[in-house]
Amino acid sequence: MKRIPLPLWVTSILLYVFLYAPIVVVIVYSFNAARHGGPWRGFTTRWYATLLDSPDKLAAARNTLELGLASTAVSTLLGTGLGFGLARYRFPGKKLFSWLMYVPVVIPDIVMAVAMLMFYALMREWLGLFELGMTTMIFAHVTFQVPFVAIVVRSRMVGMDPAIEEAAHDLGASSLQAFVRVTLPMILPAVVAGAMLAFTLSLDDFVVSFFTTGPGASTLPILIYSSVKRGITPDINALSTLIVLVSVAGTVAVALLQRSPRAQRGEK
Amino acid sequence: MFTPKRFALAAVAALALACQKQEPAPAPAPPPVAKEPCQLNLFIWSEYIDPEIVKAFEAKEGCKVTIDLYEDNESMIAKLQGGGTSLYDVVVPGNYVIPVMTKLGLLAPLRKENLPNLANLDPKFVSPSFDPGNTHSVAYQWGTVGIYLRRKPNQKIDETWGLLFDPAKKPGSFLLMDSIREMMGSALKYKGYGVNTTDKTQLQQVAKLLTDAKKRSQGFEGGVGGKNKVLAKAITAAVVYNGDAVKGTKDDPDTYYFVPREGGILWVDNLAVPAKAPHRDAAEKFINFILDPKIGAQLSNFNQYATPNKAARAFVTPEDLTNPAIYPPPEMMAKLEFVTDLGDDNRLYDELWTSIKSK
Amino acid sequence: MAARTRRPEIRFGEHLTWAGEIARSALTSGPAIAWVSTFLLLPVLGIAFISFLSRGTYGEIQLPMTAGNYLRLAGFGVLGFDPQYPVIILRSLVLAAGTTVVCLVASFPLAFFIAGLAGRAKQIALTLVVIPFWTNLLIRTYAWQLLLGPDSLAARAAVAVGLAEEGMPLYPSALAVYLGMLCAYLPFMVLPLYTAVEKIDWAIAEAASDLGADGVRVFRHALLPQVMPGMVAGVILVFIPATGQFVIPDLLGGAKTVLLGNAIQQQFGASRDWPFGSAIALVGMAVVLFGLWFQARAGARTGEEGPL
Repeated sequence: MKRIPLPLWVTSILLYVFLYAPIVVVIVYSFNAARHGGPWRGFTTRWYATLLDSPDKLAAARNTLELGLASTAVSTLLGTGLGFGLARYRFPGKKLFSWLMYVPVVIPDIVMAVAMLMFYALMREWLGLFELGMTTMIFAHVTFQVPFVAIVVRSRMVGMDPAIEEAAHDLGASSLQAFVRVTLPMILPAVVAGAMLAFTLSLDDFVVSFFTTGPGASTLPILIYSSVKRGITPDINALSTLIVLVSVAGTVAVALLQRSPRAQRGEK
Repeated sequence: MFTPKRFALAAVAALALACQKQEPAPAPAPPPVAKEPCQLNLFIWSEYIDPEIVKAFEAKEGCKVTIDLYEDNESMIAKLQGGGTSLYDVVVPGNYVIPVMTKLGLLAPLRKENLPNLANLDPKFVSPSFDPGNTHSVAYQWGTVGIYLRRKPNQKIDETWGLLFDPAKKPGSFLLMDSIREMMGSALKYKGYGVNTTDKTQLQQVAKLLTDAKKRSQGFEGGVGGKNKVLAKAITAAVVYNGDAVKGTKDDPDTYYFVPREGGILWVDNLAVPAKAPHRDAAEKFINFILDPKIGAQLSNFNQYATPNKAARAFVTPEDLTNPAIYPPPEMMAKLEFVTDLGDDNRLYDELWTSIKSK
Repeated sequence: MAARTRRPEIRFGEHLTWAGEIARSALTSGPAIAWVSTFLLLPVLGIAFISFLSRGTYGEIQLPMTAGNYLRLAGFGVLGFDPQYPVIILRSLVLAAGTTVVCLVASFPLAFFIAGLAGRAKQIALTLVVIPFWTNLLIRTYAWQLLLGPDSLAARAAVAVGLAEEGMPLYPSALAVYLGMLCAYLPFMVLPLYTAVEKIDWAIAEAASDLGADGVRVFRHALLPQVMPGMVAGVILVFIPATGQFVIPDLLGGAKTVLLGNAIQQQFGASRDWPFGSAIALVGMAVVLFGLWFQARAGARTGEEGPL
């Protein structure tokens, strides 16, 4: 493994600072005493206290997490399968379907939201299914997440040396065994990266969620979007700060809990 | 720790969890004997109702209220068209979309026998031009669109739209409102035209005016954003809704709101019941509750917008009643116009707005 | 079907009949394709159909079928000929291309940096790139407004250097918009690029350098081809969504211009002309897909793999 040269350290740290600058602003302003999110008025922690007192915000946070985890799980499964299948196998119409998989990436949010809304309305008329709510949101999120996961996974597969898989097959492994024991560990970074992308997409989605949700299933982005239109109030900043803190804590915890599994999987 | 097997397990678990959380379908018409627990699904603009009012209604009627938010009339209409008519019980449309919603069959007629408090409405809002007979809507709050700015002590302000549209005037940095009819309507008033005109020459003049103003401005912003930027001293002047402006002036007395002397837009937001509302009785109880004088006043005191409820005026904060920013004097009221939906002629405004923004 | 025979072939070490390959495709790609086809492609066909319908007086979608929306897109408006929409589409493409370039430039150092870290640090560093994106984009963009406001550090520095006026914020401006776009799309470039960089066979680079190649040549010929798939994936994942982006340009550019996203939003929103909005969306999507197809063809000639 290459040692990291100093200029690279400096550039990267600067980029991280750039990425986190707005986060720092959000954290600082979550202690702003100005009610309507105006300029700095003094230090207070009361917005954190009121957060715990707002059932609608807590419900929205819970909905957002549920939505994100469920949709990410499903879309990562589907997307990994798609990425793998497109990289390895041929079938009639493959070219056409490959291009059609781009549609969720190319389509503007509002068009997708409207398209799904109309689809659900039609399904409701014909089949009585798909009342707007959490499930319809999950289905909609999975739909736009799948291609992102697939694109990342496939790009990793394309660059991979097939010799190891071939060796596994030569040694008598069945297709499933070869996939689970050999291929999957090798593409795992791409699968995880795809999952993180999918989760990010879900957490930040407003338009599709707004149009496919039902009463009581509001998510944080919907709540935040409405509040933001009124002006970023400190309690929104407090909520975002908590999200960041929880994510960072979770990441560090997960990393610390791992006991050098990477060496076992043959990672460099 | 992160093995493929566990990952698959987690995925399946998440999927199972997701399937369990299916939102229940709205309750169908209840059997005549049993009394269903009272529920109300309110679909409303954010920060437009006092949470205390909601709690009071819940306590009085024993109802559970869920609140969902939207930020513009068209999103709400789109949601209703896509099946929301059977999800929500009360919506809050602006005056210009009510005829449209009625024609599209999105609203249920109001059963007047359930609304005794209708009598409290100010005559101006009884049977308005956009909803004759109040068949589908009841006024909720009303107000104006004007200029909100920060002024230096003892500075004399020329109360005209020309502050923004006349290149000779230099009001400092300013923002325009990112809303087609409000902004174009204000410019039309400056030129002395009607806000609902379909005269191409007039409209093109106004488009030129706005394009030039845009170049001198710091951009377009929603009403609240503009008010916040003025408060934050990032901008000197902005086009805002009066309620937001009044909240701003209370925060910072160096700021000031006025409707320019040429006149402007008058808007009314209304309560309405979607066509297939699942809890129609609760919806009408809620509307009647809002029409109560004390509740109407509480609402306006919270919002700093004007109440259409004549009986409520007795309980509105006295200084609000005399504030011309909330209740314009009669001479100004005569110069304020409702925006109406122009049907096929909407396209004129749309094309011009696109070109104003685009050039 | 000359290429495929009935005899079992060996592909990637597996003995597969054609039927076996189809079965495996169905198992792996099938679910995803079925899902997206049902939930999105069919509705999008519906949107395409709507783009040929007309807008009723109250904003309803109705017959008759007409090509009027497409004529309007070409510039034939009620007020005369004005090719606004081709300009709007071009503007969006330019912004997306600029964003992609900026993201590429920023992602390379980050990807190499993260790949060069040890085990746990690598994971943490990678997730740290993504965490800011779990706060809402709107909030982050508003935070940029504060960061670029008239009293901010950045503004004061710019005034000191003479690049800005006293008391004026650094937005709305093109710089602010690109900063915001970079901030929004960085992980979509870093993550795919990183997955490629992580698997680089450094032996090739070392061999090249041993044989006398200088740094630039080593990069171009030994490293770049290895990261190309990741790079292409990243470019796709940034460029395409960026063409539809309008919230960031509105917040940091003063909403003074119309991009593809604005135009579509306006038709589905304030103007309630869904047929026209559908037409704009379809043409926008077609333009982007065509660009992709063109790039894939050009890439195929030089032997590069397309992204999907």
